[in-house]
Amino acid sequence: MTTATAVYDPQLPGGESAVAASARRLTKAYGAGETKVTALDAVDVDIQRGRFTAIMGPSGSGKSTLMHCLAGLDTVSSGRIWIGGTEITGLKDKQLTRLRRDKIGFIFQAFNLLPTLNALENITLPMDIAGRKPDQAWLDQVVETVGLAGRLKHRPTQLSGGQQQRVAVARALAARPEIIFGDEPTGNLDSRAGAEVLTFLRRSVDELGQTIVMVTHDPVAAGYADRVLFLADGVIVDEMHAPTADSVLERMRRFDGKRTS
Amino acid sequence: MMLKTSLRSFFAHKGRMALSLIAVVLSVAFVSGTLVFSNTATSTFDKLFAATASDVSVQPPKPAEDDDPQLGDKVPTVPVALAQQLAAVPGVKTAVGQVMVGDATLVNPATNKLVGPTSGAPTLVGNWTDTPRNALHITSGHVPQNAGELVLDADTAKKAKLGLGDKLRVDNAGGKHEFTIAGIASFTTTNPGAALAFLDTATAQQVLLGEQAYTSVEAFGDGSRSNDRLKADALAKVGGGYQVKTAAEQKAENNKSVGSGLDFMKYAMLGFAGVSLIVGGFLIINTFSMLVAQRTREIGLLRAIGGSRRQVNGSVLAEALILGVLGSTLGIGVGLGIAVGLIKLMNAIGMDLKASDLQIGPDVFVAGYAVGIVITVVAAWIPARRASKIAPMAALRDHGTPAEARSNIVRTIIGLLLTAGGAGLLVLAAQAEKAATGGQYLGLGVLLSLIGFVVLGPLLATAVIKVLGALLPALFGPSGKLAQRNATRNPRRTGATAAALMIGLALVIGASVFSSSAVSSTSAQIDKSVGVDYIIGGGRTPVTPEMMDAVRKTPGVDHITTEKDFDAKFQLPDGQTKRTGLAAVSPTFFSTDFRLPVTSGAVESIGRGSLGIGESFAKDHNLKVGDSVTVTYAKGHTQVLPVGVVFAKSSLYGDASFVDAATMAKAVPAADQPADRTFYAKASAGADVARTLTALEGALKEYPQLTIKDQAGYKELVQSQVNTLLYLIYGLVGLSITVAVLGVVNTLALSVVERTREIGLLRAIGLSRRQLRRMIRLESVVIAVFGAVLGTVLGLAWGVTAQRVLRDQGLGTLSVPTTTIVVTLVASVVIGLLAALFPAFRAGRMNVLAAIATD
Repeated sequence: MTTATAVYDPQLPGGESAVAASARRLTKAYGAGETKVTALDAVDVDIQRGRFTAIMGPSGSGKSTLMHCLAGLDTVSSGRIWIGGTEITGLKDKQLTRLRRDKIGFIFQAFNLLPTLNALENITLPMDIAGRKPDQAWLDQVVETVGLAGRLKHRPTQLSGGQQQRVAVARALAARPEIIFGDEPTGNLDSRAGAEVLTFLRRSVDELGQTIVMVTHDPVAAGYADRVLFLADGVIVDEMHAPTADSVLERMRRFDGKRTS
Repeated sequence: MMLKTSLRSFFAHKGRMALSLIAVVLSVAFVSGTLVFSNTATSTFDKLFAATASDVSVQPPKPAEDDDPQLGDKVPTVPVALAQQLAAVPGVKTAVGQVMVGDATLVNPATNKLVGPTSGAPTLVGNWTDTPRNALHITSGHVPQNAGELVLDADTAKKAKLGLGDKLRVDNAGGKHEFTIAGIASFTTTNPGAALAFLDTATAQQVLLGEQAYTSVEAFGDGSRSNDRLKADALAKVGGGYQVKTAAEQKAENNKSVGSGLDFMKYAMLGFAGVSLIVGGFLIINTFSMLVAQRTREIGLLRAIGGSRRQVNGSVLAEALILGVLGSTLGIGVGLGIAVGLIKLMNAIGMDLKASDLQIGPDVFVAGYAVGIVITVVAAWIPARRASKIAPMAALRDHGTPAEARSNIVRTIIGLLLTAGGAGLLVLAAQAEKAATGGQYLGLGVLLSLIGFVVLGPLLATAVIKVLGALLPALFGPSGKLAQRNATRNPRRTGATAAALMIGLALVIGASVFSSSAVSSTSAQIDKSVGVDYIIGGGRTPVTPEMMDAVRKTPGVDHITTEKDFDAKFQLPDGQTKRTGLAAVSPTFFSTDFRLPVTSGAVESIGRGSLGIGESFAKDHNLKVGDSVTVTYAKGHTQVLPVGVVFAKSSLYGDASFVDAATMAKAVPAADQPADRTFYAKASAGADVARTLTALEGALKEYPQLTIKDQAGYKELVQSQVNTLLYLIYGLVGLSITVAVLGVVNTLALSVVERTREIGLLRAIGLSRRQLRRMIRLESVVIAVFGAVLGTVLGLAWGVTAQRVLRDQGLGTLSVPTTTIVVTLVASVVIGLLAALFPAFRAGRMNVLAAIATD
């Protein structure tokens, strides 16, 4: 797909091979004048390729907005965003749609699947839409990895919540996107099902070399990531490498303390 | 409290309600428009007749029960002396003898074109009289003063571009009579659309009646006595069985005859109202079902906090009531517009109704509100009941989209039983011996199969769309696949949406099978049994000997054949007396011109003085060849004739009886024979049929009242008659399709709202706007085509059965109009595309993020 109009910006640090997505001075504001709310305030961020990045922050910190902007689902007030060397700020709806279709995978908190399609059809839907044939060997591997082999003909209503999210993960992986965005992918699951899904995400990074960005408020979920970005009031205030659930929780507590003081 | 909830909810769903509202408005508009129109027309004519009727009118005696006037008989008259007698009745100021006949034609001799209305309203020719209540007054020129002068009404003169001094010809059975227009007269009140021409009294008597007499005597009182008293006195004075009528009686009679002319219009309009009611009913049911489905959680919550079933039920019905009242009010308004439109239409035809005196009685409001409110509340009742059954737990359950309606076994069984019953009745109808019993089975079968299909709709939706939609994924990729799945995910809704379309299309297909069978049956009959080349019809006026001579003398014409039609009475061997149509024909009728299929006996026997009768008549009355029948022609002339031949039924002559003209002439003197209305001509052997037709048209160009058709032209005439009926049906169908399209729009719009999250998801993972819009369009097309397929199946079943039922009634040949069916199916695709325009546009504009975030 070569619809991108903007080329890779050489002033970006790190180089193409290392960065899957990046944003510079990304600002997002709602409303105008007195009622103006700044959700993101000149955020600079780089998402490393082949790594699992978690974005954390309290409610209203702008973490979901950051993800939506990076994924081309939302428009920005100012600043620039690149996905895999393509600048997406300024792209038209048609080009954005193609970009999402060909380069991005999504996992939402709930309602990830079309009730009218069975599990396999849901998994191959992005490729169907693009009119591409799925790579059968890769598809088998993905299905194998997420452990759905026996349930491919089931409709979503016949699957448990955890199974549904695994189908969503498989769908995101199957098209081999540049990057996968997860919006609280385990937010609706109990801890066991959540752990299952997170394990799959972790494995897909380790074994399949997938790039994943996940928004979460759950320190346990963030503990699966390689790197955690902490957002507060629309600004990245901290980051942590090789986090554990406890270290993330500890970091979060300090935030809360700062905020209430 | 409940009312407030209902009102809020009503306005929260404005868009959806608007579509249902249109359905209610249309139905009510047709009902109230029809009422306003007919009220206005009636009151206009009331005024006309009230203004012009004489106080007492004395008319010729009513013919005795068993001596009805024959078609083409002489006009009945009263003697001239009656006028003086009546004038002498105490209280009568003046009595005027009037001549007025409807069997003459006006022709412009300069152009050989007909003057006056060609259909519907009559052309009347009479004597100019001065009465205290003349319907017309001279606006230019003067009254006819001698045998060569004529007064014409202004509207007709204007239309025919005739003025003072122009020539005008009056043609009737007595021949051609030319006059000069000496005066133009205008109607004092309303012109009912007729053409009127007046001669001086002596000329009118001589030309129009052929005797010194009047067609009626109109008496006007001096005001000293009531009309009833005058009538009684007049009756006592004149006696002799004359019909004496007061002004009120004349008015009632005239209203009745005008009324029957307007009835067709009225019934057509009520048909429109009925169709929009039925189809609109489906739309309303669907709308409320969707509203209820959408609000499952809300209603569950209402129930959980203690709302009773009745309250929930009531709140839905209250919404329906609001819709009904609003729809009826708007509908009555639109109905006034329709009435004005109809009046304009009547004006265009020549009837001078005034849109400014619209008669809006209380009946308009009563009927309008009754129709609008009853249909809405009844249609909303089913969904309301369903709403009240929603369990309080539904509020707590995560719902997303409403659960797929489980296919109901009871529903399936009922649907299957109804459909099977309907099909069985249709088969019975097709095999019925008698058309009348067949017709009853057919009517019931149509009804049952229709209801059966509506009930089975959801089941069929799943099955049929699986087959229909199998092609979609292959043709349209992911959009096709998603559309197919979406169309079947709520079969009940799809079924109800398609049902509205199905009804309309079943009607059109059924009617077109019927009409195309009628046309091809007649064509086949003509080819098989008609040997004569030209059919010459006289229309309103009788055929004169001059016309026949002109045809006879045309080069290329071998001979002409005449036919005189009697409404005769047969006294059967068992003593019973039966009425039947009897045609007295010249010998060439059977020898060369017509080949009627014979059941028993020999056609030649007619030439030898026997009677030919129809198969059904023979069967019904146990008649067979050799039986003797006493035939009573007009005016008591009788003759005993043996039955010589029994004819099989044919669409051209039905069940008519025949006798040779010479046989008839032995019993009926020439003066008492009816005039000819139609005659036939055959081209000589070797003559060019087409060129002879041109020659005939040339020879008869002085008589524009005649229609000359060769066989092809006659077939076209039959076709055009059938087509007139078809246009009305197409109008009905157009309306039902309009309402059905609203239903599809409604369903799709709701689906789009319901599936907001799904659409957001699809857009997020890369479905383009175009693909999304295509998905919705395809779903719409699938629903429309599904409806069309069901409609076609039903319509074909009805049409074919109707043809079988009427196979002996002139519908012997089945003809399936493949073009119409193909056009219908293609049109249903277009309907689907149109209906999807707005919902697809809306879905495309949805914000992806907001859509995903919807709960």
